[in-house]
Amino acid sequence: MEYLTLQNIGLVTGFMLMLIGLYGALTQKNILRIIVAFTIFDAGLNLVIVALSYIKGRVAPIIDQTTGVTNLSEKFVDPIPQALVLTSIVIGVGVTGVMLTFALRMFKTRHSLDINDFKQTKW
Amino acid sequence: MSIDWIKLLFTLLGLFIVLNYGLLQYGLIRRITARIGKRIGMPVYQPYIDLVKNYAMRSQITHGVMFYLGPVFRLVGGVGIFMFMPLIYGSYYWSNYSFAGDVILIMYFMFFGMLGMALGASEGGHPYSFIGISRGLSQFTTVEVPFTLAVIAVAVQHHSFSLTEIVAGQQGGIMHWNIMTNPFAGIAAMLAFLGMMMASPFNVVQAPQEIPIGPPTEYHGTYLGLLQTNRAILYVSESILMVNLFFGGATNWVELIVKSFCVFFWPVFVGLVFPRFRIDQSIPWFLKIPLILSIIGIFMV
Amino acid sequence: MVSPVHIVSIGLITAFLLGLGKKSQQQMLVFVLMIATAAMTMVSGSWLIGLMTGSLKPTDVFTAGFKPPFAINLRMTMDEAVLTTMVNVFGFLTVIYLFDVLKKAGKHLLSIIVVFLIGLNVVVMTRDLFNLFVFLEITSIATAGLVIIIQDSKSISAGFKFLMASSVISGILLIGIIFAYSYVGNLNIDFMTNLSMVKGGAVAVFLVMTAIILESKQFPANGWALDMYESAHPAIGSALSAVSAPAILFVVYKLMPMVPENWHPVIGLLGLITFAFSNFLATRQENIRRMLGYSSVAQGGLMLTVVAMSVYFGQSFWFIILGFLLTNFFAKAGLFWLNGIVNSDDQNKWGILRKRPVLFFLFGVFVVAMAGLPPFPTFFAKWEMIMQLAQGNGWGWIVLILLGSIFEIAFLFKWFGRVFHAVKDQPAEPVIPWFKEFPVMLFGAGILATSYYFIKYQQFDNLFVLIPLLIVAAFVVIDFLPAFIKNILLIAALTFYGYIIYPEIKGNIMQLVFMSVFLVGGILTLIPGFATKGTRAGFYPFAAMTIFGLIMLVNPGDNLTFFMGWEQMALGSYILILRGKKAERPAQQYMLFSAGGAYLMLAAFGMLPHFAGDTFFGNLSGLIPGAGVVFVLFALGFMLKTAAIGLHIWLPGAYSEAEDDATPLVSGVLINAGVLGLFWIVTSFGPQQLFGYDIFQLMGWIGAITAIGGNMLAIYEEDMKRLIAYSSVGAMGYIIFALSMDSKLGLLIALYYMVLHFIYKTMLFMSAAGVIYRTKTRNMYEMGGLIKSMPWSFIVVLIGIITLAGMPPLAGFAGKWMFYNAVVMKGWYLQGTMVFFSGIVAFLYLYKLIASVFLGQLKDNHRRVKEAPFVYLLPQFIFVIAIMVLSIFPQVLLEPLATIIPDRVPGEAILWDGRLAMTSFGYWNAFAVMTTVIVMFATIFLWLTYHSRKAQKVKQFNIVFAAERPFRPETTHVSYNMFAGYKKALGWLMTPLATQFWTGISDWSTAIADKVRSWYTGNGQTYAMHLLLYAFVLYLLISGGKIL
Repeated sequence: MEYLTLQNIGLVTGFMLMLIGLYGALTQKNILRIIVAFTIFDAGLNLVIVALSYIKGRVAPIIDQTTGVTNLSEKFVDPIPQALVLTSIVIGVGVTGVMLTFALRMFKTRHSLDINDFKQTKW
Repeated sequence: MSIDWIKLLFTLLGLFIVLNYGLLQYGLIRRITARIGKRIGMPVYQPYIDLVKNYAMRSQITHGVMFYLGPVFRLVGGVGIFMFMPLIYGSYYWSNYSFAGDVILIMYFMFFGMLGMALGASEGGHPYSFIGISRGLSQFTTVEVPFTLAVIAVAVQHHSFSLTEIVAGQQGGIMHWNIMTNPFAGIAAMLAFLGMMMASPFNVVQAPQEIPIGPPTEYHGTYLGLLQTNRAILYVSESILMVNLFFGGATNWVELIVKSFCVFFWPVFVGLVFPRFRIDQSIPWFLKIPLILSIIGIFMV
Repeated sequence: MVSPVHIVSIGLITAFLLGLGKKSQQQMLVFVLMIATAAMTMVSGSWLIGLMTGSLKPTDVFTAGFKPPFAINLRMTMDEAVLTTMVNVFGFLTVIYLFDVLKKAGKHLLSIIVVFLIGLNVVVMTRDLFNLFVFLEITSIATAGLVIIIQDSKSISAGFKFLMASSVISGILLIGIIFAYSYVGNLNIDFMTNLSMVKGGAVAVFLVMTAIILESKQFPANGWALDMYESAHPAIGSALSAVSAPAILFVVYKLMPMVPENWHPVIGLLGLITFAFSNFLATRQENIRRMLGYSSVAQGGLMLTVVAMSVYFGQSFWFIILGFLLTNFFAKAGLFWLNGIVNSDDQNKWGILRKRPVLFFLFGVFVVAMAGLPPFPTFFAKWEMIMQLAQGNGWGWIVLILLGSIFEIAFLFKWFGRVFHAVKDQPAEPVIPWFKEFPVMLFGAGILATSYYFIKYQQFDNLFVLIPLLIVAAFVVIDFLPAFIKNILLIAALTFYGYIIYPEIKGNIMQLVFMSVFLVGGILTLIPGFATKGTRAGFYPFAAMTIFGLIMLVNPGDNLTFFMGWEQMALGSYILILRGKKAERPAQQYMLFSAGGAYLMLAAFGMLPHFAGDTFFGNLSGLIPGAGVVFVLFALGFMLKTAAIGLHIWLPGAYSEAEDDATPLVSGVLINAGVLGLFWIVTSFGPQQLFGYDIFQLMGWIGAITAIGGNMLAIYEEDMKRLIAYSSVGAMGYIIFALSMDSKLGLLIALYYMVLHFIYKTMLFMSAAGVIYRTKTRNMYEMGGLIKSMPWSFIVVLIGIITLAGMPPLAGFAGKWMFYNAVVMKGWYLQGTMVFFSGIVAFLYLYKLIASVFLGQLKDNHRRVKEAPFVYLLPQFIFVIAIMVLSIFPQVLLEPLATIIPDRVPGEAILWDGRLAMTSFGYWNAFAVMTTVIVMFATIFLWLTYHSRKAQKVKQFNIVFAAERPFRPETTHVSYNMFAGYKKALGWLMTPLATQFWTGISDWSTAIADKVRSWYTGNGQTYAMHLLLYAFVLYLLISGGKIL
């Protein structure tokens, strides 16, 4: 039972989500579904980042009444991944947005959302 | 460079002898051929008559400079082979101008006349000339292969390309002749000799029936005279070459004439027995048995 | 000094400014963007100059007031300065180049460009991993935006595929980064060098590295990139290739210290595989943009290799990587931009460039630079790379590089040749706006300047390398002058060069001989050029390049000079051949075979130092184990040039399709380069063995078969120039055979024949050129009877063929005579007889040549043909005089030539007794033969003249024709298929095995390439899958199947 820590659960879930996302991105034929799969992948990724920095019994690195101002490094989890994950989420959203734009334009050109219909350039 | 005038005189004398010998020999052969064909044939001196007649012809035409020079080239070729060939072994004066080069020179000088003749005849513009020449050259390429190998075999055997040296090495009786010491090369050379003389079965070059006399079709008068002169000299010279290479050379004129006459009769007899090859038959023929024999000959040394 | 961070701040401010602008102010906004990119260039450029001059020190910019690893830092050293300058200059020029597009597009596009540039700048400068990730993502998004400047279905879907791929890659990267962080507790690259030592840290390194490698578009996980190159606007393709890729590779370079040393070769090898395969697949591309895409990917692979092996290359690293980087930067960008100017992916439409000499010249420069030919930086970089790899015995690597290079040459020059000949059916004068031409010209100047510095860096010999290069460059500049003046100038230049070079080499007879052949040959073959009118644009620079390339071969100070001369000569002659009307395919073949030969030599040069040290072909003697391989590689390289059988199929086409008056130069003169090389290796290596087999024995057989093959093939040619060309093959076989005898006499024959072949072949080709100039046909059966109108040409051909045939009394006989002696001494009777046979076979085509053209029946349409121009005849008669002198006094040439042959070579030499030449076998007196023949000839001629003094000249058809009167020359002239009987008898010898073999190779490679490239299905999901597979395979390769 010692493996069943919050961190490990987070990591495993994160990786599972990533795999699910990847699987979806590689197998789904509908472009929108592919984009959704990538967001799942991103979510898993972010979960992994957060889970990696989690240390049992500590709290989020936000200073308030409960934490006080002393010995913070023993009370907080690592703050950097927390910051990184924010950036990562933002970038993920940005990429998703761009992908959706592309999906829209692709639909306009061919009136299809099937990825197999967009193989004009090959070989 | 000083000129040895006496030697020049001897050489010219030798040339004169060879010319007459060649003409008589030709007449004789024509007569023999006729007899075999159950005809009486022409007189033995007929070639002299032809020669005089041709040189005396008054009507002459020319197709151009090269046409004009063709017979000159041809005769220079024939005379040249004679000039560069030592005739009598051991004689300074009868060794002609063989000091200028060895057997390779003679072999390559054969081409000189051929080429000139080919070019001259071509300027005549007669299609038969072209056909004859193309056949002649084609056949010649393969004739030369066994012949060259045989010459190389002999040269290696005597460690010299010099005809004088080769003849010297064969002195001392019939068993020292190259035809005996290296029979394979000798036979190969003799087979190639058939092609060199362009007698039947290898006379498709001049093919009297289909391309009346081939390359010289357009030649007449003095030109033809020159060609006839050449034929007399060339055939004898080539026979002498064979004598020097394979039959021990000669130490006097009688021996030379007897030997070369015998050698010369070899293609005549073969020609009388065998019908003519087509060109595509005669070309590969030399690359078969003669070539194999000559290769054996060269590795026997 | 302006802090490097302002590159970013300028960009950001501009992006905001652009957001404020209105739609109506679009044109002004474009100018704002232009100014901004210029300012960014100024900042990075000032750092570059400052660092170069030493007035500035490399510096770190700290953000947020902390020192790393607690905060992000940007670094500016020489490396970053170079790269950011490249990025920003490129950005500036892109804005100019896209002026018309940007004017019409919305302002968002302008912002995207700025963001793209900012992204790349930070990617280059940052030392923080996560920061790197962020800006890679920003760049990716910007790239996706740029791809759809052209909004069609192709580019949009390519952009989507790119986004998918980039999502996968960034996922891998991010996980890697986060693992790295969790192991070392910071994100700064400089504090992570021991990451792979930490338990599990190697996985993090692997993930980060893999992501970056995938980002650098390695084969075969790069379908998304190729699709993008194909569909994006050329300017964007250019950006991807010229700045994106280098930036990513710089990231690889930055990360290399983290990577365990034993991974380096794996990454390097993967890069090389990309290089080889991408170039291979590019050979099948008809679409220009996709082809350039493949090429960009390939260059990326090559650079990845160099970067991955940076530790191995040590001192040479900078030289090599700069060579590749700058060439790719200037040339690839230039080519993409030209694509935009031509505005077509169809090679045939590129003929527009032919109307613009400057642009076309730059196109050629870019292609040649990409192909790695001198004098461009890639050439030197590739040389250095191979030399370095060879020192470490990296033969497999070298093979991959050379394979890739030859494929590269294949598609680049196929393209160039097509464009060169795509003149017809083009719109009259294309309108090309200045802002499209300007960047191309600037980058053209850039590549030329870079080349200048690379050459300067090499510290070549002034006299033998720099002066020739300068002369060639001068002829490029004065190319607008009339041909007449340029001809005089080039001849004067060559004469002058001969004058200054003579004191340098007069002590070395070998150099003197070859130098005379090249110089005199060059001068004499140029003389017929006086008959051409107009400017003859593009001929003289390459004629100069060819001749001076040859000259560089004569006195190479080192291996590089030799190789450079070799390549230059190949390039120059390629252009000369390509100039022929129907020469597109033959020139392509020529280029391929030349390059193949050159690369074999390059490999051999790599091996050479193992045996000979650094000196040029120095210190080789005796049987050295393993040297056989080097010898064979060299021999193959040189025999490609001398067209040994099997390697000869390029020759007839190349020689016959070249411009008629250029043929003597590219054949008679140039072919001796191969002889020079062969002579060099034969004398310096001596007998060597390959797998226990005597190489000379093998070469002898090759020579013999070549001699027969070449001459046999010549018999059946109806084309005058092809006939002479095949005859060259035969002659070269003869020389190869003579060289391989490795005896004093054999080598003497080879040298003598080299000179003689040069004389008579040049003469024959010139004469043929004169005939063709007048008759306007090359088919011999369309000629005939020309002796009457062109008697001088006839005499030249007559002398030429008598010499070629080796008949006494002319000079050719010397060769034959020595040949017999040498063969008998060596004991190579069978091979010797084959060569001899080939000599007799030569009579057939020689007769056909002279008779079909000059003798026989004159054709009606040639009745008014005049003699060839005087300028054609003049050099021919100079050669005739040379032949005559040699015929009478062969010792004039033979005695000096004999002194060249080193003492090591066994066998006896010719003894001279006055005019008599002697060996232990035979003797020969050229003078006596000549006098005898002249006297005989004169006597008999006089005899004939006396008898036939009244001979009448008759008309053409006055011949004894069987029963009918000929009236048409066409039906009377026997020429076509003259040796039909011979063909029937021995035609089976002529089975075109070599052609079948090479066609087979070509077909196979086509089929394989088509199979391989079907891997790129065009489906984004497949591409994403490729990325994962690639990562997996890379993992297996690195870890060997174990857990890292």
